[in-house]
Amino acid sequence: MSFKRALFALCVGVFLFWGTSNSYAQDYYVYVAAESDDEVHLVHFDGETQKGEIAETIRVGTWPQENEGPHGLTVSPDGEHWFVSIAHGMPYGKLWKFETGTNEFIGEVELGLFPASMDISSTTGLLYVVNFNLHGDMEPSTVSVVEPESMTRLSDIETGIMPHGSRINSSGTRQYHVSMMTDELIEIDTEALEVQRKLKLSGKKMSGKMSADMDHSGMNHGEMMHKPVEKPTWADPHPTKPLVYVAANGSDEVLEINTNKWEVTKRWKTGKAPYNLEVSHDGKLLVVTYKGEGATGVWDLSSGKELAKIKNSRKVSHGVAISTDNNYAFISVEGIGGEPGSVDIINLKTLERVDIVETGKQAGGIIFWKQEG
Amino acid sequence: MAKALKILASILLIGSTSLFAQDASSLKIVIEPDPVEVKVGDELQLKATLMTEDGEALPDTLLFYSRNGRDLEVSRSGLVKANKPGTYSAIVLRSGPRDQRVIKQFEINVPYPPIAKVEFVDVPENIYSKTTIDLNVHVIDAMDLIRENPDLKISSDNQSVAMVSHGKLVAQKPGKAKITAESEGKKATLNVTVKQNPTASITIGNTETEVRTGDVITFDAKALGNNDKEVDAPITYSYTAQPDDNLGQGAEGQVSQNGKFVANKPGIFTLTARSGDVFEEQIVRVKDRNVQQDIEVVGHGEVLDVHTSDLWVWEGVDGRDYAITGTWGASGDAYFWDVTDPANITPIDTVRVDARTVNDVKISEDGTIGVITREGASNRKNGMVVLDVSNPRDVKVLSEYNEGLTGGVHNAFIYEDHVYAVNNGRRYDIINIEDPENPQTVGRFELDTPGHSIHDVWIEDGIAYSSNWSDGVVAVDIGAQEGEMGTAGGSPENPVQLGSYAYPSGWNHAAFPFKSKSTGNFYVIAGDEAFPNGLPSRSNPVAAAGWIHFIKFDGWDQPTEVARYQVPEAGTHNFWVVDDLLFVAYYNAGLRIVDISGELMGNLYDQGREIAKFEPTHPDALVPNAPFTWGPQPYKGHIFISDWNSGLWAIKLVDKPQQGTN
Repeated sequence: MSFKRALFALCVGVFLFWGTSNSYAQDYYVYVAAESDDEVHLVHFDGETQKGEIAETIRVGTWPQENEGPHGLTVSPDGEHWFVSIAHGMPYGKLWKFETGTNEFIGEVELGLFPASMDISSTTGLLYVVNFNLHGDMEPSTVSVVEPESMTRLSDIETGIMPHGSRINSSGTRQYHVSMMTDELIEIDTEALEVQRKLKLSGKKMSGKMSADMDHSGMNHGEMMHKPVEKPTWADPHPTKPLVYVAANGSDEVLEINTNKWEVTKRWKTGKAPYNLEVSHDGKLLVVTYKGEGATGVWDLSSGKELAKIKNSRKVSHGVAISTDNNYAFISVEGIGGEPGSVDIINLKTLERVDIVETGKQAGGIIFWKQEG
Repeated sequence: MAKALKILASILLIGSTSLFAQDASSLKIVIEPDPVEVKVGDELQLKATLMTEDGEALPDTLLFYSRNGRDLEVSRSGLVKANKPGTYSAIVLRSGPRDQRVIKQFEINVPYPPIAKVEFVDVPENIYSKTTIDLNVHVIDAMDLIRENPDLKISSDNQSVAMVSHGKLVAQKPGKAKITAESEGKKATLNVTVKQNPTASITIGNTETEVRTGDVITFDAKALGNNDKEVDAPITYSYTAQPDDNLGQGAEGQVSQNGKFVANKPGIFTLTARSGDVFEEQIVRVKDRNVQQDIEVVGHGEVLDVHTSDLWVWEGVDGRDYAITGTWGASGDAYFWDVTDPANITPIDTVRVDARTVNDVKISEDGTIGVITREGASNRKNGMVVLDVSNPRDVKVLSEYNEGLTGGVHNAFIYEDHVYAVNNGRRYDIINIEDPENPQTVGRFELDTPGHSIHDVWIEDGIAYSSNWSDGVVAVDIGAQEGEMGTAGGSPENPVQLGSYAYPSGWNHAAFPFKSKSTGNFYVIAGDEAFPNGLPSRSNPVAAAGWIHFIKFDGWDQPTEVARYQVPEAGTHNFWVVDDLLFVAYYNAGLRIVDISGELMGNLYDQGREIAKFEPTHPDALVPNAPFTWGPQPYKGHIFISDWNSGLWAIKLVDKPQQGTN
């Protein structure tokens, strides 16, 4: 056997191995929070039949007469636990921890005002959750850092106004979120637990390490004039490139930020009111929910073109979770009033919606757990 | 082929190198110093080293984190600053992928500052033989803070004169004794002179010797000397009791050391006032309160497909009677009913707004304007909606107002053309609705306590009574008229706090002012909401807890919690007071109507003060055959209630046939 043939055989073997593991995946699982029903659903999608269903519903919250609002979700890197932020409290929200599979409650820790989206660093193992503080007054909020084994809040890092969209780069060293009412992308050093850089999305570059040292006590933020334009609502770093994508909800754009240059390098006009977005794990696609028009856009990142705009099953599109094989995007859709929420399942190969799973009211936070088969 | 195999082997070797990378579980972190102890106010630099099993120190950077950064600050590099005594947990971390990550948790002890002094406080001027006083001792540390739960020993050098037991001094006979309090080596000495008790006789002034359960007796006892003049000897109060029957339960009651007594059960009670060896007794006959009445169910406006929240009943401008009810966790509906004939409650209109929950519903004093609160709006701008309800059969939306209220309004109250809207559990905003199509926020009231939270607000006579969970009830002048309790010159634009009262559970959910018609006493009644037993559901409908607290205010700065109404194994929600009657929506215990006339003391539930109860149920309700009563409103001789599971009800009190009088 020649070297070429041996190498060919090796490549074929590797291809077959990966191909098998990808193409024949049958069962996909995502968690989705029904914010106005105080429920989290485990949604199962059968890749063969292309049908989804609610596998289990987990009640969250402790006050039957108060809507406590499960908002953000994440799954630990080892897949053994899932976490949900409970937005409303007295007055502070909480982070609840569950075991995946059994969905047994493990523990909780109090956070700030309206804790929302979160992620866990693969490096520090710590969980970073933004306190969205959707409470009227325009004042700086925080990112809470939690040690998720013991569910201990280690730190509250002061950040911008109405922070949202907590996502961490693949090396686990930087957390990115946006400050909705100050039009900023904010980068946190996940080890130092400090704001490293802020980027004004309208173009102005801000100096680094400013927030932690600033004294806001003398400021009257209620009277300060904030006129956000982009109103960014989500940030997601590219898995391999020094890029972060931001949903500019107010200006109907997706922004590409080069983290080496620390500047906006691309602006793509999108559907109305992009809200959440996620880069596929292979870094090729960007899936964006258009909250304002009840649709989801699928973008090709290399060309910067929208490949498809797929109508969602109802109004108020919310979150995105992409399967690890990049075959499917799971879209949470809130709905309005008493109508149920839903998870729309989009085949990213055919760019078509293949199924709808109805959920509790106001389906919001969504996270991919695992695929089997 | 050989070359290919070499390449393959190289690939495998690279893979195995990765597989056999340093096993993080074999590494350990060593902290220096060990153990870690830092004094309050001091700083200490820690050193952490990552060690192999063989004791080799690795050069990795380790990061420190405090688990309680407020009381114990720890920088990433391990600089510790202690702000408060205690034992704290910190972690040190070598970051990296999970299989490379090393975490060590360790404790940092911040010792309490040494005790600086011990002192006796509030010592009475005279201590008389055969009396008992409380010994109050303050243990104060070097930071001038009073130590809580100190290790304290109190002793007497002359037990035959002054015996010390469980923090009390029992004066035995005239003489001198030295009382010593000691904590951590610091001592305080109190030289006690026990005097002969001057009491020659005791009088009891009370003349009410035939009372009902729940009636509070004031002893009005006086200690008199030989010359029949009152002396300052302390009096202690007690009772013995004999029940009317021999069925196993005693004739229980409650006596306070300020000379008050109340009986829970009928019987013969012997009240005793004692000072030293001198005592006086009074026999009191306690009979059943006998206030019970029957309930007649008059009508039911069924809401069986969604949860019903609050209600309001009012007389419309056309002279007919109407009700509005909210819905919870549904489609944002408020229902309007004609209740002119309570036996025929008729739905007449529905207003749907962009919300999941219309939690609270209120109508203006003149019956023309309604306000409903929104939670779960699809655009996350909740706030409130102002309605024209002058024709309840055709209700019009006048305005949606969410300025600063986007987080959600849970409860609201209309008072003199202003809405007091509880803003997302943090404060209440005061909104002028003189022009109901253009509401304007004119003021706000917010506590400044750490982590404060508010649930509801109710207004009477220009005073807003808010319920604030762990901060309890708070009275705020928003335009109070002059009265015996005093005002603070407040207005809607300038709300000024008058007084407050908090209780330990932190369950304060509702508040209602109550001026007792029968005694003139002024109370703020505070209601709990709590679910310590899990969420109610079809399989667990009985889950609530909590009770009603009666807080007597003798001036805004003198609140005293004097009584409660606590139904066992149930929990309170909203309530209402008219005259001396309390109407409590007691969730899983339905509606309770309670006689709160006269002075109040003890647990009213135990005293036979409950007049009637009604448990609304329906087999087709969201939770079938289970009451979960949300709120009551007495109105024109009927009592309207909203029930979470079954909708709107009208009932009324009727006399029990052949029942004795009280």
